[in-house]
Amino acid sequence: MDAGLFIAASGMVAEQARQDQLSNDLANASTPGFKPDETPQRSFGEVLLSNTSSGGPVGSIATGVSLGQTHTDLTPAGMQTTEHPLDFGIVGQGFFAVRTPQGVRYTRNGQFTVSAQGLLTDGAGHDVLDQAGRTIKVGARETVPPSTLGVFNVPNAAKQGENLYSGTPAGRASGVVRSGVLEESGASPAKVMVEMIGSLRSFQSGQQAIQAIDQTLGEAATQVGSVSGS
Amino acid sequence: MLDGMYAAAAGMNAEQQQLGAISNDLANASTTGYKSERVGFRDLLYSQVGQAGTSTEAGAGAAAEVLGRDHAQGAIHETGNPLDLAIQGEGFLSVKRANGSLALTRDGSLQLDARGRLTTAGGELVQPPITVPRGTPSSAVSIASDGTVTAAGRRLGRLQLLTVAAPDRLRAEGSNLFVATADSGAPRAVGAATTVRQGALETSNVDVAHEMVQMIDTQRSYQLQSSAIQTENQMSSIANELRS
Repeated sequence: MDAGLFIAASGMVAEQARQDQLSNDLANASTPGFKPDETPQRSFGEVLLSNTSSGGPVGSIATGVSLGQTHTDLTPAGMQTTEHPLDFGIVGQGFFAVRTPQGVRYTRNGQFTVSAQGLLTDGAGHDVLDQAGRTIKVGARETVPPSTLGVFNVPNAAKQGENLYSGTPAGRASGVVRSGVLEESGASPAKVMVEMIGSLRSFQSGQQAIQAIDQTLGEAATQVGSVSGS
Repeated sequence: MLDGMYAAAAGMNAEQQQLGAISNDLANASTTGYKSERVGFRDLLYSQVGQAGTSTEAGAGAAAEVLGRDHAQGAIHETGNPLDLAIQGEGFLSVKRANGSLALTRDGSLQLDARGRLTTAGGELVQPPITVPRGTPSSAVSIASDGTVTAAGRRLGRLQLLTVAAPDRLRAEGSNLFVATADSGAPRAVGAATTVRQGALETSNVDVAHEMVQMIDTQRSYQLQSSAIQTENQMSSIANELRS
């Protein structure tokens, strides 16, 4: 069967995955500290085409599009002033650490609150940790000096949802904590919309290519071998 | 195949919740002692998409919930009414509801019931009960900054000011009332930093301009996410037309 059919189909599958990621980026346009995803699309390995009668090489052809590992764009986004004493943002690189039942996790979303024990927690109730891994006591009038919050350098941070990242910390990061601010979502609606249109059209081109190949194959199946003029 | 459509729908749902909180804040822009709501967004779980065996992941959208309230002090508005009081600093007035349960409020527009007891505007009795002797004009009632109530030189009692460890986890019961829960911790007396001011009320801390900007932002995000659903739908339709 014509290889082009499968090459075009692999492109369509890749665009569909891209579209799913873009939808998720848009859905998180209001999530503080959200980082958008990027997936590299690369070609499958090339294969050598050879002449069917002589066996001589014709040239090489790529066999379609494959998706690489999803990469999270951790570039720091801008800060939005909220003036809430328990909102924190890291200006620059680094993560806050929270203690979850599954172990220590990292987050860029500094929208924190206080627990019944008077400790600083995230929205899900996980304790926020300082640089030494200890919990943080909230002072009178909901004040926490921003410098008490730990800022961790997590080189292999992997997104796991619920605003959390898993990874192994490697010391202190260069970022500086500020209170009364939240980091904006890293998803830029304009950029996402443009990519969405681009992805949609690539998907459509894939469909057109499949239809064109199908038509060619159809003609090969019906026209070749029919006796003309009969 | 349609993961993205559901992700965008989840995002729209989250924006809708945000809009609900904004509407509630705006509706309470003039409610005495009202504290604006604080909405938190989070992303959802990530799962594998596209060709099998690859490590390409896409998320399932977003969710929003009210994390608590902005406890910033509202502006103090002088009313001149001797039974109005404003709490400056953290804390709540302790009141007893008709069903006997205790509640907390920052709405200090007090009044006297038929038996001369101090109640809130909603009729909940102030705790501990303070009874103003019959025939005492309300202008003769004086409330000191520590909450001590006197009438014509006679001490009638002291208003109890309480707070909890986690005010964000108090349950809002409507009518300006909050109830302590296991998550908020039990009510305890406030420190000396909290004072009471007679003849004034604390206004709502809702910043109308800020809420309006947030409303525009929320509406636009909602719109963008609905266009993501349309795009996904268009892709499904293109896929359907493959064999036409």
